[in-house]
Amino acid sequence: MRQPTAQWTQGPAVPVVSVLVALVIGGIFVAISGHNPLVAYQALVLGAFGSPYDITETLVIAVPLTLAGLSVAVAFRTGLFNIGAQGQLLVGAVAAGAVGAALAPLPGVLLLPLTLAAGVTGGAAYGAIAGWLKATRGVNEVITTIMQNYIVVFVMHWLLQNGPMSAPNALGTPASAPIGAGAILPIVIPNEILPLSRLHAGVLLAAAAVVVFWFLLWRTSLGYELRAVGLGARAAAQAGIDPKRRVVLVMAIAGGFAGLAGMIQVSGLFHRVFDGFSSGFGFDAIAVALLGKNSPVGITLAAILFGAFARGGTIMQSNAGISAHLVEVVEAVVLFVIAAETIVRAIARRRGTPAEALA
Amino acid sequence: MPPLLEMHGISKRFGELQALAGVDLVVSEGEIHALVGENGAGKTTLMNVLYGLYHADAGTIRYRGKDARIGGPRDAIALGIGMIHQHFMLVPPLTVAENVVLGDERGGARLERRAIEERVASLERRFGIVADPAARIEDVPLGIQQRVEILKVLYRGSELLIFDEPTAVLTPQEVDELFGIVRTLRDEGKTVILITHKLREVLAVSDRITVLRGGRNAGELVTRSTTAAEIARAMVGRDLRDIRARAAAERGAPVLETAGLQALSDRGAPALRGIDLVVRGGEILGIAGVGGNGQSELAQCILGLRAVTAGRITVAGADVAHDDPRRTRLRGVAYVPEDRRAEGLVLAFTVADNFILGRQDRPPYARRGILDGRAIAADGARLAAEFDVRPPNAAAIVGTLSGGNQQKVVLGREIAGSPKLIVVSQPTRGLDIAATEYVHERLLEQRARGAGILLISSELDEIRALSDRVAVMFEGRIVAVLDAADASEERLGLLMAGHAEAASPL
Amino acid sequence: MNLDVLIGAGVLAATLRLATPIGLAALGGVITERSGVTNIALEGCMLVGAFFGIVAADRSGNLAMAIGVALLAGMLLAALHAVASISFRADQIVIGMALNILALGLTSYLDYELYGTTGTPANLPAVPSLDLGPIGAIPFVGGAIGRQSSIVWATFVLVVVLQLFLFRTVPGLRLRAVGEHPRAAETVGIDVRRTRYWAVLASGALAALGGAYLSMAVAGSFTDGMTNGRGFIGLAAMIFGRWTPVGALAAALVFGYGDALSVSLQGADIGGFVFPVQLLSTLPYLLTILAVAGFVGRSRAPAADGIPYEPEGH
Repeated sequence: MRQPTAQWTQGPAVPVVSVLVALVIGGIFVAISGHNPLVAYQALVLGAFGSPYDITETLVIAVPLTLAGLSVAVAFRTGLFNIGAQGQLLVGAVAAGAVGAALAPLPGVLLLPLTLAAGVTGGAAYGAIAGWLKATRGVNEVITTIMQNYIVVFVMHWLLQNGPMSAPNALGTPASAPIGAGAILPIVIPNEILPLSRLHAGVLLAAAAVVVFWFLLWRTSLGYELRAVGLGARAAAQAGIDPKRRVVLVMAIAGGFAGLAGMIQVSGLFHRVFDGFSSGFGFDAIAVALLGKNSPVGITLAAILFGAFARGGTIMQSNAGISAHLVEVVEAVVLFVIAAETIVRAIARRRGTPAEALA
Repeated sequence: MPPLLEMHGISKRFGELQALAGVDLVVSEGEIHALVGENGAGKTTLMNVLYGLYHADAGTIRYRGKDARIGGPRDAIALGIGMIHQHFMLVPPLTVAENVVLGDERGGARLERRAIEERVASLERRFGIVADPAARIEDVPLGIQQRVEILKVLYRGSELLIFDEPTAVLTPQEVDELFGIVRTLRDEGKTVILITHKLREVLAVSDRITVLRGGRNAGELVTRSTTAAEIARAMVGRDLRDIRARAAAERGAPVLETAGLQALSDRGAPALRGIDLVVRGGEILGIAGVGGNGQSELAQCILGLRAVTAGRITVAGADVAHDDPRRTRLRGVAYVPEDRRAEGLVLAFTVADNFILGRQDRPPYARRGILDGRAIAADGARLAAEFDVRPPNAAAIVGTLSGGNQQKVVLGREIAGSPKLIVVSQPTRGLDIAATEYVHERLLEQRARGAGILLISSELDEIRALSDRVAVMFEGRIVAVLDAADASEERLGLLMAGHAEAASPL
Repeated sequence: MNLDVLIGAGVLAATLRLATPIGLAALGGVITERSGVTNIALEGCMLVGAFFGIVAADRSGNLAMAIGVALLAGMLLAALHAVASISFRADQIVIGMALNILALGLTSYLDYELYGTTGTPANLPAVPSLDLGPIGAIPFVGGAIGRQSSIVWATFVLVVVLQLFLFRTVPGLRLRAVGEHPRAAETVGIDVRRTRYWAVLASGALAALGGAYLSMAVAGSFTDGMTNGRGFIGLAAMIFGRWTPVGALAAALVFGYGDALSVSLQGADIGGFVFPVQLLSTLPYLLTILAVAGFVGRSRAPAADGIPYEPEGH
């Protein structure tokens, strides 16, 4: 079982430092290309948090990102690398969209839970496949999940372009039939108070999911076992905790979180499945999980930060004329610095312990 | 003529551990020199310094009368020193010939397969070594693989060959073949250093002997004029402690029986070749032996961490040979593993969390899958106090505790469930006197309570101080089972070094 | 439905065209993984090669320089990977992903800065095709290979060269040893780190060539994220091709064929049932999973692949 990252016990120092370093490097980059970094960052911050409406837009991105981050984190805690959050999210979205449309006439009290269940189950099943392959045939979950991400993208192309789920819509883009009114997650702040706000009840689901994540990992026997396997696989094994059995379950749970993210995108935001929507959450989710140190609070904060980047970046481009892709550069540097930190700790740890000393 | 090799005053420290302290070694040209000692004595470390894999903290090396600066394997090879490692350094998908010439291919950029194979074949003929040059290493048995290691050093023109525990993975016939090769090497003018802890080999093939113990010199002997007993005494030393007077405990029914137990090591060689053991309730059976003779595999098989290829294991009447650790532990088996940091504890967890490892899904710690934080904390505090964990803070991260306190956590967890059988492996390795005493007290306590204890240890004092009976393991077999009264240090030393004749009364 | 749609010269020509970038990325993957380093940043190296090749072509008007710059860009990105993964022993997957995001962000950002919303200029120096003259007249085969970009032919040559390098030369032998058992290699005096550095840099160059092919030979321009996952298909081809150059090429051809089919079968009617061409595109990924899971023969990575090497403690 590989340990992709150490579970740091120090506080938020490193994540904060990595973000600051990344912002500085991004700023230098902006300056080199002939713009004023302060202008750029100001536009970014205002775009993300400047007005209540901006904040809701940031949260609209942060919500699925939180869930995807939880998906990656729960796998990390067990020593697994779930790169498949993107694919699991899409499967969840497709499942939710299909159920929501097929059972459209049903009232909300039935339809919404069914749609939710479909999303979570779809994602969980997809994740479980990778888990099963790892447990039974030792297949590296990194490879499986990367491949799975692409498979679902193409299947979606087929389903939505000229396949069984495709339905006409006003924009003319490939999409599914709209879901029933009962499956729609309502806007949380009515538009009378906050016009144009798209922030939907998914934010409550995400908050609940964070609590579930915390509860699962720190308040249940299963969570204890998962953390034990992630932090000390050999000790867990000799104590009777079988690492193999846990793999399928963990990947299913991870897939479930991501599937929920997909369902939220459909039920809360788009009300149907668009071909090619919500791309990019999967990779950002990895950064969010690492930056948040796989912890509930950290992930939430990191997701809000990345949501701010995404939202602020779009506004920065339209208001200050600086490409929104700057945000990706900043994110990449964040990941880099975090990866570098792992090494520093590893070196420090090695100095303290005797190397092969047996003669 | 000066000796071929003089190592003088070599010291090496790894963190807290002083592996070598002022060690000397003198080897003459054309001799077969045995470097002898128990596990942890410093033999391999000393040779790694010679070969340039480690840098000594102090000391000098003179080769052929001149000062030698050995910064890495390349320097050693240039001097004419070659090492045949204990864990083979061979690349599995490459052929025998490719492995021999790797790094010193002597030709152009083109890989001339036939030329290389012919070169290796002629080398084989000269030294009487048989190995198919075109065979892939992954298809070839361990005995042949070792010959490839030998060919590697000969190919590079080594004059001084170092063999590190060469017979660990060989069958008896392969061992004899190896000795034939070693003698041929000497006849061809090579010098050989043989690292071993096996007396039979030392007596069969060496000319002179240097004994190390605890990182220091413990004797220089000439094979022809010494005896097995003398070598064993030097290896094992005189650190006698008074055998604890203890009440004879009631010997109960057997809690552990193995019959014909066989298992393979990680490398696929036989590790257990038919072990028959009995441990009764209320007794401590000590397993003495130099590390690497199957003790770890024995413990793992009992716990269900290693596959049993033949034979039976019975715990309290139930057959557990093919059970997983969970099932085996439910029969009342406790385990104190030899590597407490990697196997005994989850270092990043708190003390309290480590106390419940293995019981995290049962009352009182969990009901219907949900943990009871208060019960865990309460028991954590209680056990920490009861087992003298310092500081007595059950919320402390276990990784921050000292070795002794970590071991107390392991003990506390394993003993708390009043097990029937306790398997302990190297329980006081790396512990100070106080912690060692504490561990011994608790084990004796458990014995008095009626538990059966299988004590695996390379520390003879520990074995002799605690055991009611002592079984000696050597090369995957029990060579003798002695009552404590008959288990003198000298006798155990001989048995541990493979001298089976010592099994019968002296 | 006529057979031409399945194996016509047009489809075969498309196969070669589509297989080339995948094959180049796969070759890069073979080299690094054979040395023991997992480089999932091939996608990023492809992208920077695509972008900076176009920029250099635009600014210099010189084809050779443009290709050179593209290769250099790929190698620079790969160098970041090498430093982080080899010298600092960071987690290779995380670093690879960070670099992919960096490449995407960087190229898109600079694309916007340099070319705004109008896009890259049109009349850039083109990569010459190789016109095989009379061979082009041979029915069927001629149509397939008669007029392919010189980079396509370069790829074939590279496959042969790398296959020979890995399995018939001494440096190749050493590289394979480093990937299977680095400690053994070190004990015979091979510099593990240096070998791996070269391998990673070479992979960056190969992937960048694939990217340059996409932008300069096929599209004639650059669009954000134009590699579109081909770097990952390249990794899949490497796995499916069992970590050999020839195998990677064969896998790339299979995947390229599937790609070509998905275009040529678009809208095709088979007995009243519209063929789901998009599902064809899932084939490379499905096949790779099957291969790694051992359902389709045994596909085993070099033993030390992805494991950071810790030199013996001194």
